[in-house]
Amino acid sequence: MTLALDQIAAGGTASGANEEALRRQAHGERRSMLALTLPALLLVGFVVLIPIGWLFWLSFVDKSGFTLIHYQRLLHPTYLLTLRTTFELAFTVTVVCLLLGYPLAYLASQLPRRWASLVLLCVLFPFWTSLLVRTYAWLVLLQRRGLVNTWLQKLGIIEEPLRLVHNFTGTAIGMTHIMLPFMVLPLYATMKTISEDYMRAAANLGASPIRAFWQIYVPLSFPGLAAGLIVVFVLSLGFYVTPALLGGGRVMMWAMQIERSTTVYADWGAASAMGVVLLVITLGILWLVSRLTGSAKLGEAR
Amino acid sequence: MATPADAPAAGGNRSASLPITIERLVKSYGSFKALDDVSLSIRSGEFITLLGPSGSGKTTLLMVLAGFVRPQSGSVRFADREVVLLPPHKRDIGMVFQNYALFPHMTVAGNLAYPLKLRNVPAREIAGRVERALDLIQLSAFGERRIDQLSGGQRQRVALARAVIFEPRILLMDEPLSALDKNLREQMQLEVRRLHDRLGMTTVYVTHDQREALTMSDRIAVINRGRVVQLDRPRELYERPSTHFVASFIGESSTLPIEVRDGRASFAGAPLLSAAPAPAPASSAPSFLVLRPEKLRLLADAAPAEANVIAGHVRQNVFQGDSIVTYVRTASDHEIAIRRSLRTDEVLPEVGTAVRVGFSAEDAIIVPADADAPQTGRP
Amino acid sequence: MKFVAHALAAVALAATAGHVAPAAAQQTLTISSWGGAYQKAQREAWFNIVEKELGVTIKEETTSGVADVRAQVASGRPTWDLVQQGNYGCALLDKEGNTEPLTPAILGVKGIADNMKGKGWISNLVYATTLAWSDEKYRDKKPSSWADMWDTKTFPGGRTMRRSPVYALESALLADGVPMEKLYPLDTARAFKKLEAIKKDVVVWWASGAQSQQVLKDREVEMAAIWNGRAAALATEGEKVSLTFNQQMLLTDCWVVPKGAKNKDLAMKAIEIMSRPEVQARIALYINYGPANVEAFNTGIIKPEVAAKLPSSPENAKKGFVLDANYWAANLDELTKQFDLFIQR
Repeated sequence: MTLALDQIAAGGTASGANEEALRRQAHGERRSMLALTLPALLLVGFVVLIPIGWLFWLSFVDKSGFTLIHYQRLLHPTYLLTLRTTFELAFTVTVVCLLLGYPLAYLASQLPRRWASLVLLCVLFPFWTSLLVRTYAWLVLLQRRGLVNTWLQKLGIIEEPLRLVHNFTGTAIGMTHIMLPFMVLPLYATMKTISEDYMRAAANLGASPIRAFWQIYVPLSFPGLAAGLIVVFVLSLGFYVTPALLGGGRVMMWAMQIERSTTVYADWGAASAMGVVLLVITLGILWLVSRLTGSAKLGEAR
Repeated sequence: MATPADAPAAGGNRSASLPITIERLVKSYGSFKALDDVSLSIRSGEFITLLGPSGSGKTTLLMVLAGFVRPQSGSVRFADREVVLLPPHKRDIGMVFQNYALFPHMTVAGNLAYPLKLRNVPAREIAGRVERALDLIQLSAFGERRIDQLSGGQRQRVALARAVIFEPRILLMDEPLSALDKNLREQMQLEVRRLHDRLGMTTVYVTHDQREALTMSDRIAVINRGRVVQLDRPRELYERPSTHFVASFIGESSTLPIEVRDGRASFAGAPLLSAAPAPAPASSAPSFLVLRPEKLRLLADAAPAEANVIAGHVRQNVFQGDSIVTYVRTASDHEIAIRRSLRTDEVLPEVGTAVRVGFSAEDAIIVPADADAPQTGRP
Repeated sequence: MKFVAHALAAVALAATAGHVAPAAAQQTLTISSWGGAYQKAQREAWFNIVEKELGVTIKEETTSGVADVRAQVASGRPTWDLVQQGNYGCALLDKEGNTEPLTPAILGVKGIADNMKGKGWISNLVYATTLAWSDEKYRDKKPSSWADMWDTKTFPGGRTMRRSPVYALESALLADGVPMEKLYPLDTARAFKKLEAIKKDVVVWWASGAQSQQVLKDREVEMAAIWNGRAAALATEGEKVSLTFNQQMLLTDCWVVPKGAKNKDLAMKAIEIMSRPEVQARIALYINYGPANVEAFNTGIIKPEVAAKLPSSPENAKKGFVLDANYWAANLDELTKQFDLFIQR
């Protein structure tokens, strides 16, 4: 800025002292910044753009060239039913994660640092064990002769074992366990940044603790809440292993239909089309959420 | 934000302010005593400042008044009503937080309306009162702005307006101006004081800035180590500090250890001819002579001897625009600051020059050497 | 599970690749199979014999299904000379024209039933889906046919069936009284109707052999439509599980030569060698699967007590039927969609 003014003062000529050298230096800096980001750009290109492009292309071709046959196939009721199950399951898991995760994150955010770390450690623990192991662990717990049913029977609460697994319920339980950290972590991160003074201010202005919580704390935790909800929902949409093992075969997720397309039908075109559909739905949700949160802020402003 | 004077609150003739009586408050965190048997009477409508260094307990005291900190024992009464057991949301007092604590998910108008909504004020009336409040703080056009679109000074005014829009009879302020730059802070000091005068509520103001306290307050309670050390009007506090701590915390001063024997004071073995001890310390107690820089004179060495003179030589001159501060080092290795305004053509005494510092007996403050804070030299 | 086996096999191959001496003068035949313990058994029982007789080196690869073969053929230059597939996979590839027709020499080998081969494929191995149950649950009266699977009054308890229309539809029709020899073409409407009756008792529709084994072992179910090898493994482990070969549904694995394979003549010779009864019999020495060639049971290589446990031994084979590979090659896609809809509802 100062330089520009100096130049104007000097009669608009572009020949101040060292000007050329300084400009070269600025150029060089920009070049090295570009060089630093290049690996990341290449990586994104190779692992994201090219495979997705390939997927997209595969979904629109067969031996005879361009075709919509792979998408027409998806109109079969079995796929529509699977899509519904997928959404129901993702929705259920998201809601349960919210109900469990919000109080948990709140607790962790209010605890002294050391205790908070312990709580988070427990929440994170699932991350360090294999997905398969965790899923089988639920099988051991929930099956007919599993721990839960055995205890309930011994306590005389039930006579016949409950069907807790190999169905929607068991799948939702297993998935919730795996998804919970994805809800708790962003919530915790956001809650940690909410100053105690906001709640104090609300109380001081006359809000009871409950009103202050709903009217002030919850809206302030919204960024973490939105992040948690989206991550859990979107990841749940693409789940495969847990529903395959805990769903008893009758809980079919979209990803399982994709797998069936490749292994049973050996139909990469159909599988690609399903992948594209899932991708489009996911992007649609992200777009919708960003629109909603954007307008939510505006709504508050009104 | 109608002022009670020209538009009394709907529904009655309640007074604009309440007196606060604080009795024997104790609050300790482990072995640390944040409030050590604090008692304080605040008059209705008074602007009182709690002044003290950080960790002195002033903020804790404010938090107890607001209800955010529960003391171990003691009593807080608003008028005749005991409130120490009352949860914060039932105390009906306004508060301005150090970081303002404006709700970022609400607009400016939303923040102002919030306390009114909580009090079930009809929507129409809320709109009117918010509008008047915005007018008062000169942010009429900013009602729909989000908080993060405001400058620091604007946020400060919104926070102030939010704290008083529901016409509380007590207003608490926790270092509300500390985040502002110097010019804005000084301007806001006057605005806050005018607002108080206009609304008339009892105001308890916390700061660590003694100048701010002197500027704004009816009375100042100097707090140190969980105790009220002195409670007085600004000028009395400045001119008649009762302890060494108060003397050194309020205003600039040079502090010299003296000995008082039989009503006569001596410094570094040499008698000060006529320092008037007030209040008179116990016989032969170690005491301090507190000298305000602006009340000292620099005497040429050749000047005739007079009462209350201390010899030394010039160590440093510091030019401060409106004044110059000369630091004089005594033979006993104590330092005295003298503030003078300079004539344009006046020549400064060179460093190393032998000089004498003179003062009037009535400007000399003698305080007992207390255990509070052995601050000497430059404030 | 297969996937894991393939991956392990691939790693193992990669690890040993460096030690194989390059056979400069020798020709190389590339065979792709299912990998794992099965492929190791094939190497011992068959590939070594082929290498010796033809004087070639066999290079091993692994496949995960028909898609691989399609891709090989589509590329125009298949690198695999001989590929192992499941029987309706073979039939499908044959129907699609992705295979080389078998030579008369192969078709001349005696002992392999007609429903175990086609124009471009021939079976080499037989396994079966059988009815198995927990003996702890059914102590006195034992189930003996698919009708008993549907009889939840006499045999109460959870069931498991494969998450596939293959076997499920056949077992339903058998339970409904259709004789084995009149199953095909399947009356699918009748089959689904019959399945509807058992649906609520099917606790798990299993997706892998390991899963079927686990739910039977944990007594999550009491009766299962399960691969014979899986039920036998449980019994060997000491679990109180029995199976019957009655109404067993035989399924085969088979060889195809991808269309345009570089060494197709050599591959055909290899198939012919591996189809001979005395070579076929050797597989039972290394793994619990039965040879496709019934003559193998007359070679004396397979001991009677071993033969009794193999689904393809003459004694057992006559109690069951061979799955119609051509029927499933034609209908798998549509029936799977119907079946998926059925189990989700």
